[in-house]
Amino acid sequence: MPSKIFTGDMPELMESILNNLNNEFNSLYSCALVSRHWCKISIPILWQDPFSFRKSSLFISKYFSSLDEDEKFVLKECGINTESSKTLFDYAQFIKVLEISRLERKVQEWIEFQLARSIPIYLSPQLFQALIHIIESQEQLKQFSLVGEEYPAKFHGIISALDSQKNSLQEVIIERCYYNKEFEVMTNCKNLETLRMRYFFDYSELLNVLNDKISTLEIVDFQINASTIVQILKKSGIRLQRLKLDSKTEIMEESLLLETLKSFCPNIIYLNISLINISTQLLELIGNLQKLQFLTLGDSGDTLEEELKIRVMQFAEILPLTLQYLDLRFSWLVLYIDILLNHCNAPLKKLFIDRLDSEKDAKELIEFCRRNRTLNYVGVTYSNMNEYIRKNIETYFTLVPCERIIVNC
Amino acid sequence: MDNGTSNSASENETITLKSCDGIEFHIDARIANRYTLLNNWNGGESACIPNVNGKVLEKVLEWCEHHINDPQLNCGDDDSRRRNTIIEEWDENFLSCDQDMLFEIILAANYLEIKPLLDLGCKTVANMMKSKSPEEIRSAFNIDNDYTPEEEEQFRKENEWAEDY
Repeated sequence: MPSKIFTGDMPELMESILNNLNNEFNSLYSCALVSRHWCKISIPILWQDPFSFRKSSLFISKYFSSLDEDEKFVLKECGINTESSKTLFDYAQFIKVLEISRLERKVQEWIEFQLARSIPIYLSPQLFQALIHIIESQEQLKQFSLVGEEYPAKFHGIISALDSQKNSLQEVIIERCYYNKEFEVMTNCKNLETLRMRYFFDYSELLNVLNDKISTLEIVDFQINASTIVQILKKSGIRLQRLKLDSKTEIMEESLLLETLKSFCPNIIYLNISLINISTQLLELIGNLQKLQFLTLGDSGDTLEEELKIRVMQFAEILPLTLQYLDLRFSWLVLYIDILLNHCNAPLKKLFIDRLDSEKDAKELIEFCRRNRTLNYVGVTYSNMNEYIRKNIETYFTLVPCERIIVNC
Repeated sequence: MDNGTSNSASENETITLKSCDGIEFHIDARIANRYTLLNNWNGGESACIPNVNGKVLEKVLEWCEHHINDPQLNCGDDDSRRRNTIIEEWDENFLSCDQDMLFEIILAANYLEIKPLLDLGCKTVANMMKSKSPEEIRSAFNIDNDYTPEEEEQFRKENEWAEDY
């Protein structure tokens, strides 16, 4: 007898199981072929982000076939002929993630495959019109991503089309673009939770028009000025859980940033700041984040040796007892890893350091494991341990290249 | 220890839970504090947890006890796109039981609203399906194929892009 989980009595459990295979196209395809019931649950997951499937663009024909006649007409105007046969499912309605550049790439690959020759797709007004229709035809778009190839400032209505997805859209990723008025449509997206902006010039303009709170904010830029983001941090307040600020230079007006985070955002679980001074104010903030689980810090190392040793000790002592992941690959604090481990009571499960090549550091790590008993992975960029020490280490924790540790946040 | 888990019970406090087949368990009250539904069946001669037998409840409580000091996640983040199938060693060993027990643990975690254990069970089952053919999955979970040959053929045609053995 099969478990009732698999026979249709508990579709929500079946969905929870299959959701774990969300990027395993091959496994989901197999699951869909198991039985009709399995198919009904697997297909919406298989089709939620087909554009991320690297090996083939063949799904495009089925995707276009399942679009409405209006959209098919617009595609035909662009020279894209779609099949007219009816498909088993309306596959287009399952799409949750739409990244415009991937869509363009996949359509181009598919056309080239059909014609068996290379053709460039020009961004003609009709093609923009087709993209707008495609966006508007979606029913439950959760994630939208726009990656500009050459810092575009005009979007020909593509961004405005997101108004049709205002109830479902949860995450927006914008990369290498300039702000323009079209982005104001995002003020209507009441369920927007995550905003990732990478080299999005004038990002402060967008942050200023957003009315709602967000839980995840990521900004990657050459330079970040705290004064441009405090407003959204204050608005988001207790809802903000994840913050990533990645800049090439130290954050300008960092004192303002730290004060704002301390006063308004106590529920942060993930904090990643690429370049910041290890100041008393930063330590106070970290000590206040009583739900912090993931911490990545980089600093410029402009602190005198003796002072840095004291900071390392203070830093280790204030780490919240919820902290599980600590990434110090880009911090000078790691120079005194022995002091840090000696004074740290946080139940770290995963620690990232740049290198592990001294016997002394290895011993400190082993001592920390004996005392703390939670550390199970140490991620390193470089390690040159002799075999004896390595074997000794591995009875306490696993030493792996940093990229093998997934921070799921 | 204040670890942000909002447990108000002290370490020495215990409560009594009874399985549907009458087996009693005396557990750390902090466990019941974390999972509201467990607290509902605290103590009382007649109060027993329906639908969960002693064997399964014992396993569920063993898991809860091991994870008693884990930070409580309240991310409001159930986004399937962020999920992965990585399982920590202790949990992997814990769920290396027979398939019937694994499904019973999942059903109990779902019934008792112990979400981290439910997620873990679901991940474990998902890992059992990874890279398997439809026939292998049917055989592993004892499922009958109810497709007609025509349906199966059309389905394969429309989704062959995802097939990559």
